[in-house]
Amino acid sequence: MTLALERFDVDGLGERRLSAVRRLVAAGGRGLWLAPIVAALAVTTLYPTVFLIALSLSKSSLGSPFRAFVGLDQFGRVLTDPVFLAAIGRSIVYGFVGSALQLVAGFAIALLFSSLITGGRLLVSLVLLPLMTPPVMVGVAWKLILAPAGGLLNGWLLAAGIIEAPISFLGTGGWAWLSIGLADFWQWTPFIVILCFAALTTLPDGVIEASVIDGANARQRLIHIILPALAAPLASIFVLKLIIAFKLFDLVYVLTFGGPGFDTTNAGFAIWKHGLQEFDVAQAAAETLIYAVVIGLVTLPVVKLHAALERWDT
Amino acid sequence: MSRKFSTVAAGRWLITALVAGFFALPIAYLVSVSFKTKDDTLSGGFLPSTITFDNWPHAFNSVPLVTFIANSVASSVLAGILTLAITLPAVYATLRLGVGGKWLPQVALSSYMAPPVVALIPLFYLLKQIGLINSVAGLVLVYGCINVPVAFWLLTPFLRRVPIDIEHAAALDGAGPLRILWSIVLPLVLPGIVATLIIVVILAYNEFLLASTFAFGDATRTLTVGISLFQGDRLVNFGQMAAASLTGIAPVYLIALFMQRHLVSGLAHGGVK
Repeated sequence: MTLALERFDVDGLGERRLSAVRRLVAAGGRGLWLAPIVAALAVTTLYPTVFLIALSLSKSSLGSPFRAFVGLDQFGRVLTDPVFLAAIGRSIVYGFVGSALQLVAGFAIALLFSSLITGGRLLVSLVLLPLMTPPVMVGVAWKLILAPAGGLLNGWLLAAGIIEAPISFLGTGGWAWLSIGLADFWQWTPFIVILCFAALTTLPDGVIEASVIDGANARQRLIHIILPALAAPLASIFVLKLIIAFKLFDLVYVLTFGGPGFDTTNAGFAIWKHGLQEFDVAQAAAETLIYAVVIGLVTLPVVKLHAALERWDT
Repeated sequence: MSRKFSTVAAGRWLITALVAGFFALPIAYLVSVSFKTKDDTLSGGFLPSTITFDNWPHAFNSVPLVTFIANSVASSVLAGILTLAITLPAVYATLRLGVGGKWLPQVALSSYMAPPVVALIPLFYLLKQIGLINSVAGLVLVYGCINVPVAFWLLTPFLRRVPIDIEHAAALDGAGPLRILWSIVLPLVLPGIVATLIIVVILAYNEFLLASTFAFGDATRTLTVGISLFQGDRLVNFGQMAAASLTGIAPVYLIALFMQRHLVSGLAHGGVK
């Protein structure tokens, strides 16, 4: 390529033109490095977005999409559907409450592990296992523990005389959400433990030692030294966990299938049910777009807060 | 003073034991149930009253578990390799060749934010159009692309830490960027690449929502979808369900056991820059 171009390199004008061409070729060559990732992101993000917009504006079924243009009818239907709006609400509340609880517990466990003289790292490796477990299997394991007939928890509670009849944890509204939350907590708190443990090891030893010498007790050390130093990483971890929580599907599918009634139907499960069980893909498309916008809107302030903490940190 | 100290230490160990017990409980119970007889699974005790080994062969006979495992392993490993092949050049070019700049990491991150349900219906039609619906190849393609943001985000800190002087030296010796990436950078960041590969393979292996929609025949189903069948149309048998679940968990735990150092460091570096 270069050789072929150099043959034209006869005078000064050619030289200048050539270097421009060469720069262009080089830029094109460097662009090629990004071609695969751009294609991949187009397939997983751009194309689905465009497709969903088109689908949401038309009359469609799973078998024959895009039968007629209906404008914004579908959005009107979704926005006045109390069942779906409630499902979005559940997703949002679950995301914030669940992630906050897991962050607090995960941070506490990481503090505990890092305060142990030996075994801290081993324990971090142990909690890796729940994180690696396929969510479907997490659901199965907790279903066995929470089952009304033969479930471990009911067995224990009955034996201890705390309850007199088995509780149907997965079949009663409030309990069902707690059950999903418990399984989710078991799976994802370890992730927070690992990240917090890593963040704690980045703290310079000197800082903590100095505070001990200055007579700070454990609580003062936590509030005045450790937490401010780790505010930015903790905010990152919260954002990440929030994003993951908004994707919740498998545990709902395995543990409750959205029930009893619609009690544990979150946005993801509702969309799946409308699109893939009832084959109303157009409504599912409109719901998906609305859910995506809502996620963006509620995550934005948290991301902003995170950015602010980062600026403050440096 | 020393008395108070030892009480604190004992309290710490007690809480640690409780925490460890909580995280071990579901798996321990799964193991126990897989050796329980059918009547015994309704008793509610932790340990089986009589041990039976029947659940394991029955789990393999009532659904084609071996095929499901083969599909899961094939789709996740091939997809993991595809993800790395897509992401590694992009991360390198963004850090060293001055392309992609700020927008690529941002686009990757925002694409990670969208729940997978967003891609569900559009990708269903795409796979149908290109004839890859209900095939392992289709899953490879989907997983290979969908885990790209995670890989991008995990690989970046590892590649950033490669000393740029080594690359400059290689460039002066006449090596092109492709050669520098392949023979200089790659060996240096191998631990990071291994960690990233394991994580994206496990993400693909564990995935359920997309697999249940894109691969729905007995010959193409993955293990997570297969396990979910134990409680749908087919007979619910707690013992067999536990045995099948443990079979599906085993490969992931083996990887975690041997690669724990890589995994923890990969997650930790990606999570807290």
